[in-house]
Amino acid sequence: MAVIRLGYVHVRVTDLAQARQHYQETLGMDAVHEEDGRVYLKSWDEDDHHSVVLEEGGVGLVKFGYKVTADGALDAIESKARSFGATCERMSKGDNVGVGDGLRVTLPSEHVLELYSDVDYLGTRVGKLNPDPWPRDLRGIGVPRINHALITTEDPALLERFFSDVLAFRPSERLVASHEDSDLVGSWMSCGDQPHDIAFVKGANGKLHHFAYEIDDWSALLRAGDVMSMDDVPIDFGPARHGITRGGTIYFFDPSGNRNEVFSGGYRTGPDFRPITWTMDQAARGINYTHREIDQEFLQVVT
Amino acid sequence: MLVVTVVPQDVQVRARAGESVVDALRRHGWRSPYRCRRGGCGACRARLLSGRIRYPLPVAESVLTPAEQAAGQCLPCRAVPVTDVVLDIGPHPLRAVLASTPSPDPRPQEGL
Repeated sequence: MAVIRLGYVHVRVTDLAQARQHYQETLGMDAVHEEDGRVYLKSWDEDDHHSVVLEEGGVGLVKFGYKVTADGALDAIESKARSFGATCERMSKGDNVGVGDGLRVTLPSEHVLELYSDVDYLGTRVGKLNPDPWPRDLRGIGVPRINHALITTEDPALLERFFSDVLAFRPSERLVASHEDSDLVGSWMSCGDQPHDIAFVKGANGKLHHFAYEIDDWSALLRAGDVMSMDDVPIDFGPARHGITRGGTIYFFDPSGNRNEVFSGGYRTGPDFRPITWTMDQAARGINYTHREIDQEFLQVVT
Repeated sequence: MLVVTVVPQDVQVRARAGESVVDALRRHGWRSPYRCRRGGCGACRARLLSGRIRYPLPVAESVLTPAEQAAGQCLPCRAVPVTDVVLDIGPHPLRAVLASTPSPDPRPQEGL
């Protein structure tokens, strides 16, 4: 049994028309479905029904979904989640448009996590037969796929144990205040060969720090920055390199103030990967290796 | 144009029609405390001491509750002055910046 990847992020937006403009025209996602004040979007290189849901009213994370293998993984995870003491319930086909039966878990951090293996297949924009490397009619940045999310939690050590014990994620990098487990400040965890599929840092429960799109490389990152300037997208910081994950980054805000990231590169990991440790005195370098300085607010500003 | 005054820094700038407090300050070279500039994070939270403001775009109640609004709190990144206004933006000093707002459409206009 295994969790495969971050499948979707469902966020609230204060104004749906402005949010659509950002996610469709600036980022380049395609709307695949719309109903009841919600828009479902997909990036061009994603196969499954949607990867982002925008819901009008408020700001912040409603829930997020991870896709799991279809080999009984849901049953195994449900049993482990219950042993852990987490609240979970079965979700039904149609609870999320295009997504089948699954499992809805309330994390120790109060975030709602959905797990599913059955999801409508729409296919990428280039297809699976002798495909071009990218579609000719991309808009804006033309993001190919979502990559990870970073959330905040009052108890990073507990959430790390949940993702490890229940979902078989492995920490790639850990930010620590001391050698005490209770002093874990943040953890970047992987379910495959990426440096992170989920990350969390100490903060308020239930909040979203950002969700990220993967883009090709440093050149794509700089071009993404060009598009953000053309569309007057507020930049949080970047382009810069992360010490943690070694990825390239630009952090920016959607029209409701939800933080997005475009992320490139990063190393490969695997089941035998030994976690990297960052100490708090080097946290600024860990987060922004290029500038070695971050505003205190960078970690505190969440939606 | 309306006069925007921020204290305790005691800086005065003029706001264009429809321009937010933060954008008016930026256009005059002042970087006030803000983060997302889109009303979502609350980092710019301030107190409206006098005058009236409006929000052309909705602001999430989880960021600024009706009770907070009634008590005079506001989000300068989204608040557009309706009259001359005075805001207390907190003791954080304003930073002098050269900030570019979106450039006007560079394409030549027909008939020009």
